[in-house]
Amino acid sequence: MKDIALPMSEKTARALSLGECLTVSGMLFTGRSRFHIRAVEEDLYPPIDYKKINCFFHVGPVMKDTPDGWEVVSCEPTSSIRFERYGAEVVRKFRLRTLIGKTTMGAGTAAALRETGGVYLSKIGLSGNTLRGQIKKVHNVFFLDDLGKTEATWIYEVEKFGPFFVAIDAQGRNYFAELAADAARKLPAIERKLGISPDYNYTEVDAK
Amino acid sequence: MITRKTLEEAMYAAMRTASLEMPPDVRAALERALAEEPEEMARQHLEISLRNADLAHQGEGLVCADTGFPLYFVKAGSRTVIEGGYGTLWQAEATATARATQDCYLRPTMVDPLRRSNPGNNLGPGMPKLELQFAGDNDGLEIIAVPKGGGSEIFGTFYRMLFPSDGVTGIKKFVLECIMNSCYAGKICPPALIGVGLGGTADLCMSLAKKAALLRPIGRHNPDPMIADLEAELLAASRELGLGPMGSRGINAVLAVNIDTALTHTAALPVAFNAQCLVGRRWTALIASDNTYTLTGEIA
Repeated sequence: MKDIALPMSEKTARALSLGECLTVSGMLFTGRSRFHIRAVEEDLYPPIDYKKINCFFHVGPVMKDTPDGWEVVSCEPTSSIRFERYGAEVVRKFRLRTLIGKTTMGAGTAAALRETGGVYLSKIGLSGNTLRGQIKKVHNVFFLDDLGKTEATWIYEVEKFGPFFVAIDAQGRNYFAELAADAARKLPAIERKLGISPDYNYTEVDAK
Repeated sequence: MITRKTLEEAMYAAMRTASLEMPPDVRAALERALAEEPEEMARQHLEISLRNADLAHQGEGLVCADTGFPLYFVKAGSRTVIEGGYGTLWQAEATATARATQDCYLRPTMVDPLRRSNPGNNLGPGMPKLELQFAGDNDGLEIIAVPKGGGSEIFGTFYRMLFPSDGVTGIKKFVLECIMNSCYAGKICPPALIGVGLGGTADLCMSLAKKAALLRPIGRHNPDPMIADLEAELLAASRELGLGPMGSRGINAVLAVNIDTALTHTAALPVAFNAQCLVGRRWTALIASDNTYTLTGEIA
């Protein structure tokens, strides 16, 4: 399996194919809804060098404060589609080339990634405890006091972090959109089997 | 008399264990799914998830880091006596939940819906949630702790007021639509446990769906053969969509369709849908009147 150095180069990103499995090594930052909302609506974001720390990991980790510093208890990638309203703007604002999260994002983010030459990587299975062991160092945390441990931005150094699969490639193709189209094609036959006729409609109670 | 201290200990232990252990029936079902899935990606989703649960069991993390909504389902017998009265249950669940959060078995995930402020301990209006039920002639307590993950709750909750003229066809169509919608791109973390409520008021209907998804062991069917047939038919239909673990190409988007019913208005046919994710977290503490308690992953 390929291990890719972070920050990911445009050339590397553009060479990745949809569905390909890989790991990443280097620096990344975390965030969820609050990161997206604040970065876009309030222009408020952690003061880091986004050229160097260019991989955005969608996660709300379980963090433990110990005498030796912060310990990652578990870090399960979270549903990225929730951030779609702000996804494209965040990718463009920070010129992001690597997003890591759970399963998928929408057409807007895919278009922004095509522009920056970036990819969206999805988790495989529940992997929060495996990923925890691949975080070599917790470098920093931003906005801990106002956002709390779950929504704060953590800076992690990771090594062979993953595996993940390419769910949106740098050409903007989406792994799940293609699967959903297949499922939609199967639906009429399944409905027929269940005795649902093609012209079935729910009872209309707003008749005009 | 069951003391407050016992309640706090047992609730804490049940919630902690629910965060660390995958219930045995859920694991067995995921292993069956793994043996069945033909696609490599579908198998990988399952293998990695099972390994993740093994790591949690060994003290290397949690079954899932999204410990979600802290829920307690409590069943008391007709002769159960609690120190300070039944109100103690709510005090004990608050203490147990705050402690489990402090010890990092629960993530501080509960926030104010408008201000988005985080109390840091999962305590506040309505949370943790405790449901009390009375059943049987005994003097003990059954407490099922459920850390209910966000994905399955956020993307796997639907309600529709159907009408008698929609018939069973309407129910099937609605449930199938919900499965498609929620399993797309693995939103509810499939293979999912699907609960469906039929009848009642809107809140009762959703409560039936939620408990059918969260509390019914895999392989147990509704005792009414007509409902059991509907469960089997919908499960079979879900397997033909071509959707599998985490929304990948596969067979097992759904492990079980569990339906429960209540009487409803003669003019109405309410249907509720609520999903539980692949780890199906729940753990039971059984408290006896002598203040001993046992923990079990089995559902009575």
